[in-house]
Amino acid sequence: MSLRTIHLPVLCVSLSLAALALAADEAVDFETIDESIDTRKALMEDVGAAAKPVGLMLRGERDYDWTVALESLRTWQDVGGEFGKHFPEGSESGSGTEAAPAIWEDREGFEAALTEWSEATSSAIAAAPATLDEARPVLGAVFNTCKDCHDGYRIETD
Amino acid sequence: MGGWIRLLLALVVIAAAAGWWLTRPVTLGPEDLPDYTPDAIAGERQFWAGGCASCHASPVDGKRARGDDKLRLGGGLELETPYGVFRVPNVSPHPDDGIGGWSMLDFVNAMQRGVAPGGKHYYPSFPYTSYAKIPVRDVMDLKAYIDTLPAVAGRIDEHSLGFPWSVRRGLGLWKLRYLDTERFAGPGDAHDPVARGRLLVEGAGHCGECHTPRDRFGGMDRSRWLAGGPDPEGKGRVPNITPAGENLADWSASDIAYYLESGFTPEFDTVGGTMVAVQENMARLDKADRDAIAAYLKAIPPVE
Ligand code: HEC
Ligand code: HEC
Ligand code: HEC
Repeated sequence: MSLRTIHLPVLCVSLSLAALALAADEAVDFETIDESIDTRKALMEDVGAAAKPVGLMLRGERDYDWTVALESLRTWQDVGGEFGKHFPEGSESGSGTEAAPAIWEDREGFEAALTEWSEATSSAIAAAPATLDEARPVLGAVFNTCKDCHDGYRIETD
Repeated sequence: MGGWIRLLLALVVIAAAAGWWLTRPVTLGPEDLPDYTPDAIAGERQFWAGGCASCHASPVDGKRARGDDKLRLGGGLELETPYGVFRVPNVSPHPDDGIGGWSMLDFVNAMQRGVAPGGKHYYPSFPYTSYAKIPVRDVMDLKAYIDTLPAVAGRIDEHSLGFPWSVRRGLGLWKLRYLDTERFAGPGDAHDPVARGRLLVEGAGHCGECHTPRDRFGGMDRSRWLAGGPDPEGKGRVPNITPAGENLADWSASDIAYYLESGFTPEFDTVGGTMVAVQENMARLDKADRDAIAAYLKAIPPVE
């Protein structure tokens, strides 16, 4: 067996790995405009679905359960790290997006709103409130960051 | 020939005089104010219910004011409308630039008759057609509260409106048709939540100004009370909040009250658009007030 015959398959494998890695790395950039919009909407749908059980606890219409709340907070934490990657130039409108032009005009402000959300989420996780009374202020603070971002960076369309 | 011309001239003069008379400002006099010592604490409730800060608080760095900045009523917000740009004036208690020099009667005439101290008509972009419904004592309380807020210096430029909207006198005719000055009955009503809610919705809360569609002269179409329509201040639509509304049909009274308190819908989506500021004001009221508004919205006739 020559060196050549060993190296060829190795080379092939590493080349395809490299291609895969490249593809994964660039996935967000290669996403079409419509895909970006669909992805970010789907992410926010998950965020909204996770808000429901927590909201019902805050409204006093569901028993307070930290494990359930924690699951929602983890969802928000994950989305918080991902959401900002799906706003490429050119995805300002179309496909039923409710993203506001302010996201592109004031990118820093938008990133700051994302950071505030993530920070409020992390503090809530760290606080691990044992009772509803303890939970109200920390979870309420997270909910306020949802509203703050929507207020500045989301518009109604129909 | 000369006779005809004279008749024509006479007719023109009569028409002009009639027009002048019809468009004259109609105001209240000192005898219309009750002998009452206003209560600034009670006035704070009217202030939030009335949403004065949503328009009059000076924007901060081009964004709407939040938190305590809502109490700085220096004006300056620009309202873009099909008639042109309205610039919201300074109504802080500043003696020269705001309304610090105004008498109680000046204030009540502005709020409930849409007339300025010199007799000028106000544009209905200042929602006095709704404020006219507030019991007069509540308006007096509101002035007492505004007097406790910070005086903010700085005058705001006049509006930039196209002709004929730029002629204030013409508003007299509009007011003859659309300004209903009959106030609600007094506090006797306040024990019934629906009546209390009605007063807040039709009066200070001026919910109809956005949620009731307008006819072609810009007046509220009362036959479609709260049935929604195009957003007068921007793009999109304002939803129908009668029991036939697309969302409201499924919302319970407690869903509505929670939305006004927290800004979250029963699906835990958030309030948006111009309703955000309204909701933040509603959050400052007592729970009993929000419950009353919800009870009223559940009780009004559904309009498809
Ligand atoms: C940093 C900004 C930001 C934060 C924080 C944020 N959102 Fe959003 N949200 C958006 C934007 C932008 C959209 C519109 C996305 C689009 O349509 O392209 C949106 C859309 C939504 C939607 C509608 C999804 C759909 O298309 O059906 C829901 C529901 C939602 N958000 C809930 C929440 C909740 C609940 C929170 C807090 C737990 C939250 N959001 C936090 C920016 C944010
Ligand atoms: C939707 C926006 C809006 C809201 C809400 C609003 N105003 Fe105004 N207000 C205006 C505009 C616009 C004007 C100027 C009208 C004009 O020039 O004809 C005005 C004028 C006034 C004036 C006359 C000021 C002057 O210099 O002549 C007073 C007083 C006033 N508002 C008080 C209030 C109070 C008190 C509240 C709350 C109960 C309130 N306004 C709520 C928009 C608003
Ligand atoms: C400045 C205009 C404005 C005023 C004044 C206003 N609203 Fe709204 N309202 C809106 C808009 C716009 C929406 C849609 C909000 C959104 O898309 O999230 C809305 C939504 C609502 C909703 C939710 C309806 C739905 O289908 O989602 C309720 C309930 C409501 N308003 C009640 C009120 C009440 C009660 C008042 C008076 C105290 C009021 N509004 C005053 C503009 C206004």
